[in-house]
Amino acid sequence: MAEPRVRPLTELDVEAVCRIDERITGRYRPEVWEQRIAYYIRRDPDSSQVAEVDGRVVGFMLGEVRGGEFGLDEPTGWVEFFGVDPSAREKGIGRGLIEALLRHFKENGAHVARTMVAARDKDIAAFVSAMGFTQAPVTALEKRL
Amino acid sequence: MDEQTRELPQKYHQAVVHWQQHNFPDYPALVESWDRFFPKDPPFCLCARIGQVASDVVEYGDRKGQPKATKPTDMDERAAKELFNTVKAQASTEFGSIQQHQGTLARAYDDQDRAWVLRVMAEELRHGYQMVHLITNEDWSAVSGEKADDTVEHILSSQTGSHYFAAFNLEFDSFLDNIMFAAFIDRVGKYQLTMQKVSAYRPYAESMPPMLREEAFHLAAGVMPLRRWVERAAKGDPLVTMAAMQKAANKWFSRGLEMFGFEKEPFSSAQVNLGLKDRTNADAQQQWIDECAQMLGDLSRRYVRARLPGNTPEEIDAIQQRLAAGETVEGIAPEEMLRLPDRRFFRRSFDGAYEMVGIGGETFADVDAYVAHLAGHLPEAYLASRDMRHYIDNLRKVVAGAMTVKQAVKNTPKLQRLGSTCPCSNSVRWVMDTGATSVGEESRLHP
Repeated sequence: MAEPRVRPLTELDVEAVCRIDERITGRYRPEVWEQRIAYYIRRDPDSSQVAEVDGRVVGFMLGEVRGGEFGLDEPTGWVEFFGVDPSAREKGIGRGLIEALLRHFKENGAHVARTMVAARDKDIAAFVSAMGFTQAPVTALEKRL
Repeated sequence: MDEQTRELPQKYHQAVVHWQQHNFPDYPALVESWDRFFPKDPPFCLCARIGQVASDVVEYGDRKGQPKATKPTDMDERAAKELFNTVKAQASTEFGSIQQHQGTLARAYDDQDRAWVLRVMAEELRHGYQMVHLITNEDWSAVSGEKADDTVEHILSSQTGSHYFAAFNLEFDSFLDNIMFAAFIDRVGKYQLTMQKVSAYRPYAESMPPMLREEAFHLAAGVMPLRRWVERAAKGDPLVTMAAMQKAANKWFSRGLEMFGFEKEPFSSAQVNLGLKDRTNADAQQQWIDECAQMLGDLSRRYVRARLPGNTPEEIDAIQQRLAAGETVEGIAPEEMLRLPDRRFFRRSFDGAYEMVGIGGETFADVDAYVAHLAGHLPEAYLASRDMRHYIDNLRKVVAGAMTVKQAVKNTPKLQRLGSTCPCSNSVRWVMDTGATSVGEESRLHP
C-alpha cells in the first residue's frame, strides 16, 4: 500500500465519507454527512482532514477549534467525527489524521484537544489513548427524556 | 491563524456600501438570519483581510529567490501591468457574481439554500472590497496610467453584460443557476486564488488565504444543494430533473473553461514566468476539469443510490459502470447520468472558439444543425437570451467568412453605463465594445 496522503477535507469528499461510514455502520446517510461536511468547511476548511491512498479517500476526521463549550472557555480543539475504511486499518491512517488535526489546532491557538468516546467503543478508546489522550477532569452526564 | 483586518478609506468604503444597496438589496436579510443558519460563526465583516504568506521570496519565474514586492513599482513592469489587470478582473468577478445571484435569489428552494447563497454573495462582496483595497492602498498610476478613483469607478459601474469574463455576463435563468454557478464557476475561482497564493506581489499573496477559506464554503453551497436536488429528481419530483441539471452544467462548463485564459504556450505559462502563479493555465484547467468530472460522477452516484436504495456500494459501482458503457440498468437510462460536455462544445474564446463541436465531440458543418444541437442541450430559458443571439450571429458570420474567429471573440456586446457610476441614473445602453483586445484594455465609453 502506498503512503497515505493527508489533506484538508473538501466538499467533493462527501461521497467517499458516506462510503466509509456505510462500511462501518451499514447505513448510507448522505443527508447527514452533507450537513456535517458543509458545517466544518464553513467554519474552518483547513481543520478537518481526509487520508488518501492511491487517490482514494480511506479515512476522515472532522473537528475544529471552539471556545466556551461546557464552560470550558479556553480555545479547545474538538475531535468530533472520524472513520477509517475497515480495509485500510492498522496502517497508520488514524494517526496521520489526528496528527494533522492537532497541528492545525495548535496553530490556531488551542492548547488542549478534547473528544468524547462512547463506553462501548473500546477500539476507539484504545486509539485515542494511544494518541496521547487521557481522562479529562470533566464527566459526561445524560438524562433520558 | 494570524490575520489582520483593514477598512478602506471612507470614500471608497462608502462607494462599496452604496454599490451594495443597489446591487445586493437582500444583504440585510443575511444579517437577520445569520444566527439561525450560521450559529456561533463570527459576524460578517465588510473589510479586507490580510493573511500570511508561505514565503518572503518570489517562488516562481524569472525573479525566483528575490524578495517579494511590497509596492507595484518594485515589480518588473510587465508583471505589474499583468497583475493590475488581474486585480481588476478579479474584482469584476466578485461584484459581477453578486449581480447574477441577486436576480434569482428569491427563487431558492428553501430557506437554507437561500441563506447559503446570501452568505456567498456577502463574501463575494468582501472579496471585491479586498480588490479595491489592493488598488487603493498603493499608487498604481505609474503602472496603469489610471487614477485609483477612476479604476474603482470603472469596477463599480460594471453590470451583467460588461464584466471581463463571459461567465459573469450571463443572467441566471433559475435558482439552479445559483448553485450550478457556485459548483462550477466558484471552482475556477478557487483555482485562481490557489495559484496566486505564491504571487510575487506580497499584498496580493497575503489576500489569498482568507479568500480561499471563504471560497471553500462557496463550493459547498453549490455541491450540497445539487446533491439534494438529484435525490429529489430520483424520487420523481417533476420540478427537478437530471436533464435540467445536465443542461445547466453544459451552460456553465464552457464559460468556466474560458476563465483560465489561453491554454496554448507561450501564453499558458506567462504568469508563472512573471512569478504571479504557480502553474500554467493548461495545468490548472485540467485539474479543474478533473474535479468537475468527479463532482458530476458523484452526483450521478447519489441519483442511482436514491433510485435503487437496496443496493450495496459495490453493486452501485457495477451499475454505474454498465450505465457508463451505455446500458440501461433497472430502468435507469445512461442519459440520466450527468457528464461533462466535450471541452470544445459551445466555445467562444481560446481553444475551440466557434468550431461547432457538439456535446459528445461530434463536429457540425451546418450552422442551423448546430443551433438545433445547442437548443437541445442548453437550458430552455437561456436559449431566448441576448447572449445566445449574439453568439449565433457571430457564428453565422464566421462560417460565412464574413468575420474571423478573432473578430468574433472581440465582437461581444457590452452593457455600459454612461455618465455616472450610480445605478440610480438611467444611462445604460447596449453598445458594441469592438476595441477590446484583452483583459484590462477595453475602451471606456463614459466620460
